[in-house]
Amino acid sequence: MSAIGAKPAAGSAMDMTATIIGIIILLVIIAATYFLVGPGMAFMALIGVIAGGILIGFGVHFVPVGGAPAAMGQAPGIATGVAMLAAGAGLAGLFGGAWAAELGIVVATVTGAVGGGLMMAITCMFVNFIYVFGMGIPSASGKVARDPITGDTQAEFKSQGTEGHGLPFVSYVGGVIGGLFGGAGGTLIYLMLLEVYTEELPGMMNALPGQILPIAVTLAGIFAIGMFLVNAVLAAYNITGTIEGPHDPKFKRFPRAIVASAIASAVCGMVAIMIVAL
Amino acid sequence: MESIVFGIGITALAGALATVAGAAENTESDIGSQGDPNSQVQLAPQMGYLHRIFNKAIAGEPPAWGLWIALGAGIAWAFMAMQVNPILAIVLGAALATFVQGVYATTAYLGRTASLAKFGQPVFVDVLKSMTTVTMAHAFVAIFATVTVCHLMNAALGHPFPLPLLGLVWGIALGAAGSATGNPFYGKERQYQNQKYGAGVPIAASGNIVRYAEAGERNSLDNGWFSARLGGPASGVCFGLIVFLELWRTVLFEHIAAGWGAIIIGIIIILVFMVIDRYIEVWARKNYGPYGKPAEEASS
Repeated sequence: MSAIGAKPAAGSAMDMTATIIGIIILLVIIAATYFLVGPGMAFMALIGVIAGGILIGFGVHFVPVGGAPAAMGQAPGIATGVAMLAAGAGLAGLFGGAWAAELGIVVATVTGAVGGGLMMAITCMFVNFIYVFGMGIPSASGKVARDPITGDTQAEFKSQGTEGHGLPFVSYVGGVIGGLFGGAGGTLIYLMLLEVYTEELPGMMNALPGQILPIAVTLAGIFAIGMFLVNAVLAAYNITGTIEGPHDPKFKRFPRAIVASAIASAVCGMVAIMIVAL
Repeated sequence: MESIVFGIGITALAGALATVAGAAENTESDIGSQGDPNSQVQLAPQMGYLHRIFNKAIAGEPPAWGLWIALGAGIAWAFMAMQVNPILAIVLGAALATFVQGVYATTAYLGRTASLAKFGQPVFVDVLKSMTTVTMAHAFVAIFATVTVCHLMNAALGHPFPLPLLGLVWGIALGAAGSATGNPFYGKERQYQNQKYGAGVPIAASGNIVRYAEAGERNSLDNGWFSARLGGPASGVCFGLIVFLELWRTVLFEHIAAGWGAIIIGIIIILVFMVIDRYIEVWARKNYGPYGKPAEEASS
């Protein structure tokens, strides 16, 4: 079918055929990994990597991104790309999570989440600071009549010829939640891979665990960053450009991103694990 | 106790360096139209508005900065592995990464502007000569400061990531913070200075960017001067606070309650910023007032 003859993109609807094919691919990858490495730590790491990828893909949908129109005060959100902003927040979270890795998986993952949320809390505050004190523009949503959290009316604060501007409070909260999910997901992937590498690399390279640690940390870090970008970009395609946050109708598309993130993370995770587990 | 005091000192130094890096990054970005406002610089000739604004955006700000900082950090790391003094190694790494940025800026400007030939937009060689070196100077400051921050995190605070990986992480975060904070100030407040203050740019005005200065045609150095007044410093404070508070909560509170201390402090900081944001939002609504009547009143 040509592009002209294709049906218009369905808003938040799931394409059942594609979803079923995707889930089959996912199950095949999980089964293949189980068959190749058994039910041990490497297999559990793959499950953790998939969970981390889903957290990232879901979290990106919360981040209010206005892209180029936001830079001209023509649309609400943060004036940069979806994947880029989410990556900035998630990687700041990964930084904190990796630092806390020795404190256990729960503490490290929560530390990573808070790191991502902190980055977004500061950045979103400065977005409103610039809009209000630098440009004299109040925040206004273009998608809802009232802010779902504060109840503030929005329409009368929208300047003429625009779809809104700045970050209404619900978008701010969405940004922080997105940072929390992104930070947690990135850290979880890192921790899972680090565990596999620290276990497998000494035997593989005939070296002591202490000697192998820098290589394991670097490998796990690079794979975590790579998988973060894969999931953030997938979610960005699902969002198609801009989103205001959890109150935006586009937010309802997240189930598609979860399926896509699970499959992509499974493929990437399998490769990342197989380089040492086979 | 001594290690905590040492950690606080390093944290403060890293925060200060990050502030300088953020300010330089945003000014570099605005001179080169690297952020989202590049769309208007590219659109203007297509709408019949020829200009002399520099445009080197062929990648988003965060990945571009991720590349340059990781490059600077990687080269510095290699020099340090060869027993070169860390400060000299970071200077060399930043200088070489800056040359890559210069090549990137040159090819990006030529490529983007040449693609507008059918709309009559010339490639100005004097713009290329005068702007590229200025963006390179700002890039050097930002790369040097950020790589130094990464080195402090790795060598002094003991973060497990190697220097190049820290460079990639914090380079992307630097670009994200700088573009989020600085883009609207350049995009709306400078490029559309001819539009009303205190309102967004009407979509119908897209492409009609300001092209003339007090004397002659406006160039991107004028834009850098303007951005350095608020967009740059605000981006700097934003990135500086991110780095400082992230390190501060870890250095001081991670040892409390097996790591939960840093988490609780992080949550408290998030809530504090949430309150500040809400205050700013309400302040603007009260002091600036609505553009029109509320929807309910208007319909009644």
